[in-house]
Amino acid sequence: MTIPTATTPASSGTVPVTGPQAPTRPRRLLLAGTVAAAAAVLAACGSADVTRPRLEASLAQVFPNYYVQQQALLGHPGLAPAAVQARPTCHRGSGPTASDTGAGSDWICVVDYLDGAGKAQEGKFELKVNPNACYTAGAPTKLVGAATIQTPTGRWVTNPVFEFDGCFDPTR
Amino acid sequence: MTQTTPAPAVTMTSAAAAAGRGSVVRAYRWEIIKLVHQWRTRAVLGACLIGPFLFVIALDQQDRVPKDTLYGRFVHTSGFALALMLLGFCAQWAFPLLTALVAGDIFAAEDGHGTWKTILTRSHGRTHIFTAKVLAAMTFALAVLLALAAATLGAGVLLVGDQPLESVTGTPIAPGHAALLVAAAWGTAALPLLGFTALAVMMSVLTRSAALGIVTPVVIGLLMQLFTFLNGTDTVRHLLLVTPFDSWHGLLATHPFYGPLLHGSWVSVGYIVICLAVAFQVLRRRDITGG
Repeated sequence: MTIPTATTPASSGTVPVTGPQAPTRPRRLLLAGTVAAAAAVLAACGSADVTRPRLEASLAQVFPNYYVQQQALLGHPGLAPAAVQARPTCHRGSGPTASDTGAGSDWICVVDYLDGAGKAQEGKFELKVNPNACYTAGAPTKLVGAATIQTPTGRWVTNPVFEFDGCFDPTR
Repeated sequence: MTQTTPAPAVTMTSAAAAAGRGSVVRAYRWEIIKLVHQWRTRAVLGACLIGPFLFVIALDQQDRVPKDTLYGRFVHTSGFALALMLLGFCAQWAFPLLTALVAGDIFAAEDGHGTWKTILTRSHGRTHIFTAKVLAAMTFALAVLLALAAATLGAGVLLVGDQPLESVTGTPIAPGHAALLVAAAWGTAALPLLGFTALAVMMSVLTRSAALGIVTPVVIGLLMQLFTFLNGTDTVRHLLLVTPFDSWHGLLATHPFYGPLLHGSWVSVGYIVICLAVAFQVLRRRDITGG
């Protein structure tokens, strides 16, 4: 911590200074603060945290992880996430106003992947992306099933891939 | 900080002869004693220790889960997820208030009681009193954080269990590693929390009112949350003091990332330095004659 203490004024030749009153110090502090803030603003300018490539890369990683968990619950263990070969194509909003950047609950990702049997599938995922680079993805029910699924032993469990959360690095 | 710590058993005359003021350590110790004897600080610390357990018990009464907060969907399946969900919850609503309850009051209380003259004319200068009070407020903030972290982890593991934790990228994390990561995640809240402590200290000095010193940082925190919630510009959001509270997400990824954590640390340190500098300048210049 470098808290400036009351130093002697530089030009203390003639006037005896009785109290801490150099008015330059807070002004200098304010100036430094403003410059630092402006520099930070400029440095970070133009970089949106939520972008299409980041989201697609994240979903391509996270969806297979949860899909593999679901397949294991359904009695198909041993499926590798890489074997799912998920390839998402994400867009935000629709029509000419679509921007493909920024947080929002209007992201749609179409994911091509291979299911547990190795058959090609395509499904539309709805994503609610938060400004903090985390999102909640809702998977298409007709492909991955409902919110709860029945295991081979007859037990009802939460479907891990029906709705899942993911986070990605907004700085890379 | 220049701590030329003398022996504790210095007599009043020799201390006065030395510098006309006592050491920061003694002033700090005195501030801590004052805090320990306040019902408010005890109540807050007690609430931080008991709160998480009550939360889990209340959560067990219903089968719905708080999915809106990250890890909310796993609160019934892993105690570690519960601790992380509560971290996210505290970051949104509780941290600014918890630290402001002490930091927002610690300077203004002397105005309220009219005791500035008394403590300054004893044996401590303004720099010593300022340093001691700031350190005491920060100690309390860290104590609150430690109590909450321990209680949430304890409540999670004891009442929910130590099942493996899902990473934020969908892979399971073994219990031992998960416990470490949860502790680290709570640790990342320390710097932004101290940022709010500094903000509350500044407000306490500027407003000279305990009520405003406590309420203003909370309102500022809520406004920052609102800005984030309304999807404000990322450029501005990166400079807000609530953003670093989310930087722990990177620790919980399969391939951990630290960019947001590093950036958030700089922002937090910036708030701490600027707020404390302003507070110190204002306090140093204040005309304390009326008592």
